[in-house]
Amino acid sequence: MGAMSTGRRRFLGGLLAAGFMPMPTWADVGHPAFLSAAAKPDGSYVLCGIGADLSVRFALPLPARGHAAAAHPHRPEAVAFARRPGTFAVVIDCVTGQQKAVLDAPAGRHFYGHGAFSSDGSLLYTTENDYEAGRGRIGVWDAAQGYERISEWDSGGVGPHDIKRLPGRETLVVANGGIDTHPDSGRTKLNIPTMQPNLAYVENGHVIETAALRPDMHRNSIRHLAVGPGGEVAFGMQWQGDGPVDALVGLHQLGAPIRLMSGSTDDVRRMDGYIGSIAIAADGRTIAVTSPRGGVVQYFDAITGQLTDSGTLEDVCGVLALGDGFAVSTGFGALQYRGGGGAIRVQTDFAWDNHLVSV
Amino acid sequence: MRRTILALTVLMAPLGAFADTASATIKDIIDGHILPRFETLAAQSQLLAATAEQDCDPTSDALRTAYGAAFDAWVSASHLRIGPSEVNDRAFALAFWPDSRGTTPRTLGALLSEQDPIASSATDYAEVSIAARGFYALEFLLYDDALMAAGDATYHCQLIQTISADIAVTASDILAGWQDGYADTMLNPSEAGTYRSEEEVLQEMFKALTTGLEFTADTRLGRPLGTFDRPRPTRAEARRSGRSSRHVVLSLNALQDLALLLTGDDAALSETLTNRFDRALQQIESLGDPVFASVSEPKTRVKVEIIQTSIDAISADVSAQLGPKLGVTAGFNALDGD
Repeated sequence: MGAMSTGRRRFLGGLLAAGFMPMPTWADVGHPAFLSAAAKPDGSYVLCGIGADLSVRFALPLPARGHAAAAHPHRPEAVAFARRPGTFAVVIDCVTGQQKAVLDAPAGRHFYGHGAFSSDGSLLYTTENDYEAGRGRIGVWDAAQGYERISEWDSGGVGPHDIKRLPGRETLVVANGGIDTHPDSGRTKLNIPTMQPNLAYVENGHVIETAALRPDMHRNSIRHLAVGPGGEVAFGMQWQGDGPVDALVGLHQLGAPIRLMSGSTDDVRRMDGYIGSIAIAADGRTIAVTSPRGGVVQYFDAITGQLTDSGTLEDVCGVLALGDGFAVSTGFGALQYRGGGGAIRVQTDFAWDNHLVSV
Repeated sequence: MRRTILALTVLMAPLGAFADTASATIKDIIDGHILPRFETLAAQSQLLAATAEQDCDPTSDALRTAYGAAFDAWVSASHLRIGPSEVNDRAFALAFWPDSRGTTPRTLGALLSEQDPIASSATDYAEVSIAARGFYALEFLLYDDALMAAGDATYHCQLIQTISADIAVTASDILAGWQDGYADTMLNPSEAGTYRSEEEVLQEMFKALTTGLEFTADTRLGRPLGTFDRPRPTRAEARRSGRSSRHVVLSLNALQDLALLLTGDDAALSETLTNRFDRALQQIESLGDPVFASVSEPKTRVKVEIIQTSIDAISADVSAQLGPKLGVTAGFNALDGD
């Protein structure tokens, strides 16, 4: 950026005098289309902003391996969560690369690695484990006041993982994975025989609706969410049972029953019981899911519920609706986009972590 | 949270010469590793049930010896979470641990204080909370200061007999599952079967090895280690019966056997892994601490940490060297589990 013109400086001075500060926006950090955490070849961890052309616009250091991030809706500011069972999250100023705040989980809580902002960006919601009680919680943080913790809500289930906000309203949807863990046993799953995952919708601290799977699928842990333009919630699952599973992808809308997406036995099997990430197209028609274990991306028609396409890509996990297509990322450094306008492939030397987060 | 650092660059390896011996390896593992373990578990569990029928005094040598032998057999098979052990939660019914919230003693306490008649038969008892079944529940009744003497003596005796009988039924069901079908399922992969190729069968066995190593390092050792500021010796596995360290040894012995069978005729890798296992086992022996009480003292705690590090090193070698031979990718995301 060149020297600021006298005219612009005067203009800024005028704004300052009038009590207005021009706030930086995502444009000031190179218009990233999405964020992703990554590991660098030297083993250090970063949070990256990536443009629609799949170029890396910034790479800011993280203190530990990240999981997902939450992008502030207006300010160029991202919250990066440590992976489960981390007890901290860092708020990063994407202009300066500095940490603006650190969120420490309260005593007896740990984060699950996902969070979501309110529509105006004033509140941040985080999924947490009240591990002595074995109950899921939603932490509420004041993003306008230095990320002070101001409240805590019940998540409507056990083991909440992903959390998203429905469009045009303040309703949150939470994937309560159903799996009880306690940090004193690492990531050991404590309640597989009795787990009961659900989708819970939460408004201002109240669970307004929950949706559960049919009883024979109670070992299908609902983990990751993508929200469509009409408030439809696509969810990806991870099978904890023995033997084959019927479906790993579902779609739900407030007030309606869950619909499971179907593919052939072989198609389901190729996902190795494990959906790592999920995205839904901007028009809500197509759902994309990834399985890093299977090394497979699959696409479903959200209307018919049928599998429409699939592809293989080693250690693919991150997936995001971008333009009229989808972007995916892999642990082996690949970033790929495929849409109506064509395809882009970029090879980096970063190991891209689980999720791509829209800005 | 401590995690094993894994190489990011392990790529899918073509199955070369190894494929020729894959079916022999599978047969060796089923006949020489899996079936004998479940046969021993079934036999020792029958013996435990029979002994409990004769003598249900928690302090009885005969009962405690039979219990120890059956529990040994379980720990030596506990990494084989495949097929028959997963049907009807049989493995959980034998081993509900870790029990982070104390459900096992709480449920047993309630049964004893209410003299719940569900304990009158093993068939009925299969319906109680899974936390009150199996070897860890029985340990409370035989060794816990409070629960070994709690409740009415006749009911306590019956509870010991019923839990023992339930263990015997479960162990015999697992063995039957292997003998009457699952061994054949693994020996004869087919397009329509549970396993479509020998590669998939070997990968399932490999997964048993890696998750077994992780469980022993992260849970059997990780639980008592806690954090430096807050060690948790009372969270050691089966500490009441003084079996914590013994379980680490038994599991490592079993995992070494499986690792070497999976390694096949790769002499160099066999040697590497043998050295790794021997070192970890040697470290446990020289620690000489059956219940990991030493985690509380900084000077001795480090010795337990070193054992954990040694097991992590086995895991790293297994992932980096054995995994690729079996066509297992070690992706950054594939291993994440979130």
